[in-house]
Amino acid sequence: MAGKIIADTLEHSTAGSLDTSYVVNGSAKSWMNLTGTGTIAVNDSLNVTSCTDGGTGRYKPQYTNSFSSVNYTPQGIDDNYGVGWANAYTTGEVQNVRGNNSFSVLDAGIFSFSAHGDLA
Amino acid sequence: MTTTPSFQGTHLFDRLCWAKENLDGVQSDYRVVYEDSIDECAKILVPDPNWMACALQGGILPPVWVYHELAKDEAQPDFKKHTRGYLLHNTEPVDAMTEEEAIEYLIMKDCPQSVWQTWDEGNKPKMVICRKEQLPASREWRNAWKITEELSVTDLAA
Repeated sequence: MAGKIIADTLEHSTAGSLDTSYVVNGSAKSWMNLTGTGTIAVNDSLNVTSCTDGGTGRYKPQYTNSFSSVNYTPQGIDDNYGVGWANAYTTGEVQNVRGNNSFSVLDAGIFSFSAHGDLA
Repeated sequence: MTTTPSFQGTHLFDRLCWAKENLDGVQSDYRVVYEDSIDECAKILVPDPNWMACALQGGILPPVWVYHELAKDEAQPDFKKHTRGYLLHNTEPVDAMTEEEAIEYLIMKDCPQSVWQTWDEGNKPKMVICRKEQLPASREWRNAWKITEELSVTDLAA
């Protein structure tokens, strides 16, 4: 690809240097912003093939480039209570469940998701 | 129209980053409704707009069989980590698809195989492709949604 720079270290004139592996390993490998009410729709994303609406408050993004193992870290937040959990995840998808303060499942107006880890 | 670089051998994530920068997302009106358990409500598969742009563009996505191979590996009881990730990056990318072909690809990638391989067996279809306008506008009683029993395979073929 055009504009390719290969570097192991970035160095600032005064603030020190940074190993580029921090950038590569520390960047989100997948993210998604989704409207979770009405007919749900993915508003924007990276490395997402589709999102499955699995019922009230249940949103499952599927990755285009799978993670290398299940030892990655998905996280999400919404515009309701910000309460949620993930279950049944594989290297290719993760089921996110959103709820209220009593852990009752609830649709999110906007659900934002990202995942960090190593890609396959 | 933007020309896709020759991507075979380029890491799939790099291709997706290229697509994010160079292609506009395409919101599909299609939705895939399926049932994979009699105890659960119908699920709805929503295509991602950036992925759909890649599918329509061509030369970016790996063939769908690659995902099936990785799923086979992951189904092994001693699975810890993918060792055949190179299939995603080194297999020749698929050509441009129509939106309908992209939905077929998506079904084979993201719906359970038990659904799409036997979708028309049994008393009623387990899977329906529809337009989003055909879904209920309100999510009231969402956890009770089912594919109607009146919907015959003949209706779907029409």
